[in-house]
Amino acid sequence: MEEKYSSNVLSGGKLGMVEVPDSRLTRYIALLILSKILKALGIFESYDILKVVHIVQFIFILKLGSAVILLVFQKPFSSGKGISKRQWIKLVKHAILSCVISLLGFFGLTLCGPLRTLLLFEHSDMVVLALLAVLFTNSGGGPSKTRGAAFFIIAVICLLLFDNDHLMAKMGDHHPEGHHDSALTHFLYTTISLLGVADHKGGVVLLVVSLCLKVGFHTASRKLSVEIGGAKRLYALDNLVSAVVLLPWVVVLSATTESKVDSWSSLIFPFGMIIFSVMILEFYVEAVCTAKMEAPRCARYGAFALFLSALMLANFWTHPLTDQLRSMSKPPQQVSTEHVLSGGVIVSSVFFIMASSILSSPSNKGQKGTLVGYSPEGTPLYNFMGDALQHTSQSLPRFIKDSLKQILEEYDSRQIFYFLCLNLAFTFVELFYGVWTNSLGLISDGFHMLFDCSALVLGLFAALMTRWKATRIFSYGYGRVEILSGFINGLFLMVIAFFVFVESVTRLLDPPNINTDMLTPVSVGGLLVNLVGICAFSHAHSHGGKSCPSHDHGHSHHGHSHGEHSHGGHGHSHGGHGHSHGSGSRGMNANMRGVYLHVLADTLGSVGVIISTILIRQFGWLIADPICSLFIATLIFLSVIPLLKDACEVLLLRTPPEHEKDLNSALEKIEKIEGVLSYRDPHFWRHSASVVAGTIHLQVMSDVVEQRIIQQVTAILKDAGVNNLSVQVEKEAYFQHMSGLSAGFQDVLAMTRQMALMKYPNDGTLIM
Amino acid sequence: MLPLSIKDDEYKPAKFNLLLKLSGWFRSILADKTSRNLFFFLCLNLSFAFVELTYGIWSNSLGLISDSFHMFFDCTALLAGLAASVISRWRSNDSFSYGYVRAEVLAGFVNGLFLIFTAFFIFSEGVERALEPPDVHHERLLPVSVAGLLVNLVGIFVFQHGGHGHSHGDGGHGHSHSPFNGSLNHGHGGHSHDGHGGHGHSHDKHGGHGHSHGGHEESHCHNELQRSEGSSKQILQGVLLHIIADTLGSVGVIISALLMQKYELMIADPICSMLIAVLIGVSVVPLLKESISILMQRTPPSLDNALPECYQRVQQLQGVYNLQEPHFWTLCTDVYIGTLKLLVAPDADSRWILSQTHNIFTQAGVRQLYVQIEMAAM
Repeated sequence: MEEKYSSNVLSGGKLGMVEVPDSRLTRYIALLILSKILKALGIFESYDILKVVHIVQFIFILKLGSAVILLVFQKPFSSGKGISKRQWIKLVKHAILSCVISLLGFFGLTLCGPLRTLLLFEHSDMVVLALLAVLFTNSGGGPSKTRGAAFFIIAVICLLLFDNDHLMAKMGDHHPEGHHDSALTHFLYTTISLLGVADHKGGVVLLVVSLCLKVGFHTASRKLSVEIGGAKRLYALDNLVSAVVLLPWVVVLSATTESKVDSWSSLIFPFGMIIFSVMILEFYVEAVCTAKMEAPRCARYGAFALFLSALMLANFWTHPLTDQLRSMSKPPQQVSTEHVLSGGVIVSSVFFIMASSILSSPSNKGQKGTLVGYSPEGTPLYNFMGDALQHTSQSLPRFIKDSLKQILEEYDSRQIFYFLCLNLAFTFVELFYGVWTNSLGLISDGFHMLFDCSALVLGLFAALMTRWKATRIFSYGYGRVEILSGFINGLFLMVIAFFVFVESVTRLLDPPNINTDMLTPVSVGGLLVNLVGICAFSHAHSHGGKSCPSHDHGHSHHGHSHGEHSHGGHGHSHGGHGHSHGSGSRGMNANMRGVYLHVLADTLGSVGVIISTILIRQFGWLIADPICSLFIATLIFLSVIPLLKDACEVLLLRTPPEHEKDLNSALEKIEKIEGVLSYRDPHFWRHSASVVAGTIHLQVMSDVVEQRIIQQVTAILKDAGVNNLSVQVEKEAYFQHMSGLSAGFQDVLAMTRQMALMKYPNDGTLIM
Repeated sequence: MLPLSIKDDEYKPAKFNLLLKLSGWFRSILADKTSRNLFFFLCLNLSFAFVELTYGIWSNSLGLISDSFHMFFDCTALLAGLAASVISRWRSNDSFSYGYVRAEVLAGFVNGLFLIFTAFFIFSEGVERALEPPDVHHERLLPVSVAGLLVNLVGIFVFQHGGHGHSHGDGGHGHSHSPFNGSLNHGHGGHSHDGHGGHGHSHDKHGGHGHSHGGHEESHCHNELQRSEGSSKQILQGVLLHIIADTLGSVGVIISALLMQKYELMIADPICSMLIAVLIGVSVVPLLKESISILMQRTPPSLDNALPECYQRVQQLQGVYNLQEPHFWTLCTDVYIGTLKLLVAPDADSRWILSQTHNIFTQAGVRQLYVQIEMAAM
């Protein structure tokens, strides 16, 4: 309970991140973890004991036992300076407060069970202080701390609301009558019942309050511990005094109520263990560890170990196997009512672990400067400059805001995003309604919708990623993502069409009985949503078409038209990028086409379902369903093929078909430029919607100006639509020159080989 | 091709032409070891599927029919691999100026995607079944899955073996599995170090071939070497992964069928399938990552370290002011292409700079380089 007092004032934690090699700390960490596990064990044991022993007696015994041990070890009276009368008064106050807090804590333990108590009550001071700082002050320490606080609160709420502990509730009914044997417990029970919550939920609230009290108490007692002369001495004296304070109450209690305990002797061992693990060992280990490591790290490891071991113990404590093990040390009249592990507890413990690790991580704000290194003398150097600019971590809300802004900036991604929202809303309505009415069909349809949304998410992500700047690694930029995404979406649709096809074939052979009652409203809803999507996307497309009407003629000599499909127009936009390079394409790019086709396929699916439902209902044609799906599968398949073909061509680095003629005439023009002998390796390919890259080697006469030729060639090819060009100009004298330079045999060899290659510019092996 | 008279052309019936084409394809399939293996395995798989289908229709068992359709779906992966291995050997033409070599990357990518889809479907199916275990008829499951396992094992053996034979075909680098590979490589000359370092990522069974890049005195024979083996890596990897996934699936079915028969553990089936799905998903990720990075024209990861050094060296050449817009990308396995622009002094010897730049990057393993030299304005 009473952990460290002033030890973290003296520890290295406040002096910056002095990284000590882990190997030296391993024993301390191991020790810490061991002590925490023992503590969890002790708390579990004490929960069992508290069922038979009165709480005040229990605390008295604990305090007394630890006081005796600590008196032996610490010798608070014989060592150190004397204690004045005022200090004694303070000490008594301190002891009374600590008694109240342990009383509250252990009372919470009886209400909530050991696992929940450990989760709630055993947070280190630092975590709670950080939490309170976030909650009640403005400068909480940055977004990460806010996140941690949010986790903490979520965890508490989880414990309060989602922890359906039936045993607990049952026990709560019996408990008050059974245990109302003291004024104190009676008082506490009435207070909790005044709150109007269930018993163990009252316990949770009680524990949270007492946790805050404990932290406040620890902080307040720091001064006292300095006055007294060290935390350990204070702890020893405090235990002694509180035992003395509790003594009269215990005497009165044991006089008035009959004890339920048969033999105190059987309890000696458990008590000894609890005193050792909960009161003594934990205190010492914590003190040592905070001195050796930084306090935050210590707190993090400790919390982690404690919570995990609590979870493990809670799982195995009531296991029949451990029951046998414990039967020798435990009173036999153990009631088999235990607090079970529920989902809420597990979730909240995960959240607690995350919260405590986030909250106990050191914040740079507190130090007002970052360690930049060490001076030659060994003193640490801090940088105070960047404090205003530096982010401790990316804030989640800000990240969301930024990406939303990015999404809404561009037309494509905005469309996808709105439709995604609509789709998700529909899905969730469907899912909730399905869960509400417990209809499996609706739920599975909802999951199917969610799966469909993945295509939209992919499209959205691609539309965002396309706008990323080129990096050193991706030197052409990320424009290809949209083509890849279109390709993936197309493939995806192919697979779906294939499966639908197979399914419908099997159904054709053996038509199943379909329950048509539920289908219609759902599929009509889905149809409406998808129709909205189609309108939005095809609007986007026609808008793009209008914005560049000059491309119509480009389309006419455009080798493969997609006119046979309902989305026939999309070919236009491809016709135009070349002429309007840099402006990007506002029309239907591969990504949008993929998304559009997906939505179209969904719509077709809904239409098919509706039609087949009507047919089945009106005429009883069970065969209508598989035929419809066959038809739809074929339709999807056919409509995807052009998209796949285009994407494949781009990915295979084909010369852009819509520029092919221009390029050929451009190459002819290049050959006619004065001074150009020939060209070789002309490669032109579309990288993304807006980038057409090209490379070419030129052989020129030795007496021309290279720059002029490069400029001419670049201009000609730019007219033909290539906007990322590199021209390599080679002069004939180049090779003689090379051999003249004594550049080494190998270079000359390579050069002659290149020259040999140049004689056969159409040789296919060049490419390989 | 000898010139044929126009009359000959007229008399040629269309059917014959198709046959000719088919036999041409057939020959080109059989010409290469990879595609031959793929083709035979495809035939095996297809015949198995047909046997299953006919037996299913004959015995009217829906399970067998759907399983055979699944087999057909699996065959698409093989088909994709086969098509890619044939296509990637097509000559380049005006439209596809780089040839069709990228088909192999694309095939690997498609295979990987299919596997991911499959894994996802299996996983969702497994979750569904875990929540609500159906009654599985395990009597007939066992023989079919054992037969499938056998077929797939043959496939794994063939392709593993193919991989070995393949690395034997690398000519002088038959020792690709031997530990002294590195030292052998260093014998090529001072520059082989770059090439060697660059290929640290390459897969075990193809470990040998990358080294030939090291010394550029060999640069000519790359063309032949590369052609025969460049078409294999990604395709083989994709196909192999697919077959392994299938094999795992069969093993999982067998194990779960046994568990269900012996111990009535109905939960074994969904758990097995979920495990397998996760395994497939995890094993596909590297393939997908690699092929996506190639398709996105990423700077080759193997050149990541070598390139900055090369830039440094180019910039130190006399007369070079600046290096702009360097683009380096992978055409297909181990064929790297680069373009860059050099800003040079007006009086610099551009020819010398050009050849030196070519030298520097050839040593790093860049096959095709386009250097645009721009004179700085006075």
